[in-house]
Amino acid sequence: MDYVIDLVVIGLSIGMVYALVALGISLIYSGLDIIHFAHGEIYMIGAFIGLMLFQKTGLPYVPTLLLAVFLTGLIGILIERVFYRRLTRAGGGYTVAGMGMVIVGFGMSIVLQNVAFLIWGPKPLPFPVPFGLPVEIGNLALPMSYIWIVVTALVLMVILNLVLKKTMIGLAMRAVAHNKDIAYLSGVNVPLMISMIFGIGCALGAAAGVLIAPINYVQVQMGTGILIKAFAAAIVGGFGSLPGAVLGGLLVGVVESLGAGFVSGTYKDIFAFILLIVVLMVKPSGILGVATKAKA
Amino acid sequence: MTSGEPMLHIRELVGGYGSVQILNGASLKVDRGQIVALLGGNGTGKSTLLKATSGLIKPWGGSITFDGERIDGLRPDVIVRRGLVQVTQGKEAFPAMTVEENLKLGAYVVRDRAKTANALERVYTYFPVLKAKRHQLSGALSGGQLQMVCIGRGLMSSPKMIMLDEPSAALAPQIVMDIFRIIHRITKDGMTVLMVEQNVRMALLLASYGYVIKDGVIHIEGPADGMIYDDNVRLSYLGGTVANREALL
Repeated sequence: MDYVIDLVVIGLSIGMVYALVALGISLIYSGLDIIHFAHGEIYMIGAFIGLMLFQKTGLPYVPTLLLAVFLTGLIGILIERVFYRRLTRAGGGYTVAGMGMVIVGFGMSIVLQNVAFLIWGPKPLPFPVPFGLPVEIGNLALPMSYIWIVVTALVLMVILNLVLKKTMIGLAMRAVAHNKDIAYLSGVNVPLMISMIFGIGCALGAAAGVLIAPINYVQVQMGTGILIKAFAAAIVGGFGSLPGAVLGGLLVGVVESLGAGFVSGTYKDIFAFILLIVVLMVKPSGILGVATKAKA
Repeated sequence: MTSGEPMLHIRELVGGYGSVQILNGASLKVDRGQIVALLGGNGTGKSTLLKATSGLIKPWGGSITFDGERIDGLRPDVIVRRGLVQVTQGKEAFPAMTVEENLKLGAYVVRDRAKTANALERVYTYFPVLKAKRHQLSGALSGGQLQMVCIGRGLMSSPKMIMLDEPSAALAPQIVMDIFRIIHRITKDGMTVLMVEQNVRMALLLASYGYVIKDGVIHIEGPADGMIYDDNVRLSYLGGTVANREALL
């Protein structure tokens, strides 16, 4: 029984990381109507920036995380402004640029991997954070690093929810996600909101990267695997739905962890996709998705 | 900014979508405190003219002066800040937001809680039914109530002028009367209105001046009470035969 609880706890904390990346992907999808294929690389860049800040400045973990999240968000905004938005100039905005966007996203993922390779090299780097001793509950020993992930991710999700639901900026972002013309005619600066949405999406990805880094190594290819898992999570939950992204992330994490623990660790990655296939067979729009595109 | 000059002055406006030119040099004027009706059949350029004025599409040529300043080519949110708001056709609200959230979004440029609260109260006095439903999702509203949300959202930034694109479209006759009554009341409170309508008779009863647009240019214009009985207006609007005339009477 303790073994099961252990696996579930590990699954939930890894699931939180998937959920953060999936949230970013879903947020960008709902706001910009693009599927951002370079999001795994944003996660990787976030982890590297976190590592650099942690080593070079000697800041504690939380300020490091916040600063890395902020800086990666800015990098995301820059990427969107300089590269992605260029495609929309042909007319029709993001909604129409579709296939071109996918290609540019893939290209960006290759470019970012190579930039990271040139800066930080090919070797996996450790991110040693002294989290302290595991917390003992009964005869369970929960590693602090996992608790950190869950708590930090929850705090970020609550903040995101409050911003979207309770502030004028959040209201404007939801408006842009639903109908850019009406948002414009309500006086919302739509291009600025698109930057904000993309920046926040990237910031969430970076948070996931900095959170997972103390457990895993930081390396150039770390984004490829997470992207596929986050897509699985987003689709399981219902693509474009923010609560769905969180639910999907947690489900993928737990199913993966249980599968690895009980069936085979070697085939760990398979279980996420078995879950994906099952969900798509039962409810093609995802667990919290609706048949039509319901956004943000 | 003399009160003698028109609130909105469109000169020789040219524009369209992609490579399709729809406006071929349309000119019109809206004086302060006036309701002006813009009439015309389908595909004559009514909505395009409003979109070019509100900034949703960039005009290709001509000029638009609002309250003494050029606004052609500006971004829509900047034009809203200047005090000119468009309410689009099709009762487009945000279904996943409550009525009150929809309305508050209209005051996005205001950034002053007291002013927003005042504007909200004023909209609720125009549309009491919205106050009763303010915490409901707008996706659950009827067509008439949705149109009220859209007009209300347009009023939330306390604009100098509002442009309504077919406020009576796809509404029951009784609701149409309500909507027109409220537009009348809003104008009495000092608003300037440019109204695109298919409901020619109602629009001309309400308006003081009318324009008929055809093939992207203004075809006929004149004081509204003269136009109601003008056969040319009917024919141009119907784009059809004299036989159709009887149907409209």
